[in-house]
Amino acid sequence: MNTTIREDRLLIASDIHMGNRLHNPRRRFMDFMHFTIENDYSLCINGDGIDIQQLALSQLTGDLTACMPLFGRFAKTGRQVYFTVGNHDIVLEHFLSDLGRMKVVPFLNVESGDQRIRVEHGHMYDDMFLRFPLTYSVFTFIGRLAIGVSPTFYDWVHELNLRIIAFAEFLFSGFKTKAKTNGNSPREVIKDERGCFRQGAEDVGIRGFDSVIFGHTHTHGVVQLDSGTRYYNTGGWFSNPHCVAIDRGRLWFGPIDSLFAEGDPFPVDPDSDSSDRQPGMDDTP
Amino acid sequence: MKNVSRHEIQNFADGEIVVREGEETREMFVIRKGEIEVVKLVGGHEVTLAVLPRGAIFGEMALLEGLPRSATARARGATSLVVMRPGSLLLQIRRDPTFAFELMQQMSRRIRELNDKLIFVETAEFSSQLARSTLVDTAASEYQAAESDGDGSES
Repeated sequence: MNTTIREDRLLIASDIHMGNRLHNPRRRFMDFMHFTIENDYSLCINGDGIDIQQLALSQLTGDLTACMPLFGRFAKTGRQVYFTVGNHDIVLEHFLSDLGRMKVVPFLNVESGDQRIRVEHGHMYDDMFLRFPLTYSVFTFIGRLAIGVSPTFYDWVHELNLRIIAFAEFLFSGFKTKAKTNGNSPREVIKDERGCFRQGAEDVGIRGFDSVIFGHTHTHGVVQLDSGTRYYNTGGWFSNPHCVAIDRGRLWFGPIDSLFAEGDPFPVDPDSDSSDRQPGMDDTP
Repeated sequence: MKNVSRHEIQNFADGEIVVREGEETREMFVIRKGEIEVVKLVGGHEVTLAVLPRGAIFGEMALLEGLPRSATARARGATSLVVMRPGSLLLQIRRDPTFAFELMQQMSRRIRELNDKLIFVETAEFSSQLARSTLVDTAASEYQAAESDGDGSES
C-alpha cells in the first residue's frame, strides 16, 4: 500500500456522508467533482465519504450511480481520486478499492512543492472512539434510530451525546475539561472541537509535516500548533462544508460554496506547459 | 535539547554526527527538518549508504535489537530530530498509530530491497557458474575436436 504521494494540485474534503438520510449532498458533491475536474485538481475524500453506519440504501445507490461516471472522468484527465478511510466507511475499504476508480488508503502523506502534508480522517485521535468503542457504537446506533424518527429528534440526541461526552471528559481529566478544550484556553483549538484532535495533530505533525488535515469532527477551522505545523479541519457536509486546495505547496482553506462563487484560488495558466505536472501516486510497491 | 508538545527534540548543525558506527546508544530518530546522511566505513573508505529526507525514520535497529550502531548518521544542513526511546516509542505508537504503520512500511521496504539484492547476487552467481561451465564445455569440445582432427591427420 502506498501512502506517500506527490501531487501538484489536490482538493481535499471530508465527511460527505453519502447515503445518510439526514441530508442529500448529491448535487453539491457532483458540482464539487465537476469543479475539481475542470480546474485540473486531483481529489481526496478524507473519510466518511459514504455513511454505512447510518445508511439509507436507496439514497446511497442513487448517489453512487450519479457519481461513478465522474470518478471515471478523473482517470481520463490523468488525475487521481484518493479515499482515506473514516470510521463510517471502514467496512467498505476493500469494496471501494476493488472498484478500481480510487486509491483507498488509511492516510496520505502528500508532498507538494516543498511542503509535506498529512491527510487523515482523524477518528484515530478521538478519545471516545478509542477508549469507549462500545459506547461510541451504541450512540451511533441510537443516532441511526433517531434519524428514522426525524431530523429534529436526531439533533436533540446528537446534542445530548455531545453533552455526555463533555461530561465524561470532565470526569476523566480531573475536572479540567474546559481548560483543555474551550476556545479561550492558552492552547488554541478549533471552535467546538475537543482537545484530543489538536493533540493528535501535534503528535503527527511533529514528524516533519508542515500541515495536518483532519475531518471527522464536523467542525471546520484552522489553528497553528506549538511545533509550527498548521492543523486544518475541513468539517462535514451537513452544513457549510469546507475544503483545502493545494497547489504546488500553497494551501487555501475555505467554504466550498465560496469556491464555487469565487472560482479557483489557484487558477491554472492556460499558457503554462502541462508537462510540468508532477506524477501522482508513488508507484513504489 | 528541548521539548515541543511532549516530544524531545534535538537540533544539529551541518556535518554534526548524530550517531557513530559501533557505538551503543539506543535512541531512534524522526527527521523534522533537514536531511541525514548515512555513511559506513568500508575498507577504510567512507561510503554513503543513503541520504534520508524529512519525515524519515532511522536508528530503529539499535532501539529494537539493542545492537551497536551499524552506520554513522550525520546532519546535512541545519537538522532537527524527534528523539524516541523504547518508552516514548510505545507512547508515540499509542498516540499516533500511523507512526507504527509507517515504521513497518519502511522495514517491509528494506526486506524487499534486500530480497531483490539477494536474487541479483544469486542470479549473478548462477550466471557466472553457467558461463564457467559453458566455457569448460566449449574448451573440452574444442579440445576433443582438435584431438580427433589430430588423430585423423595422423591416420
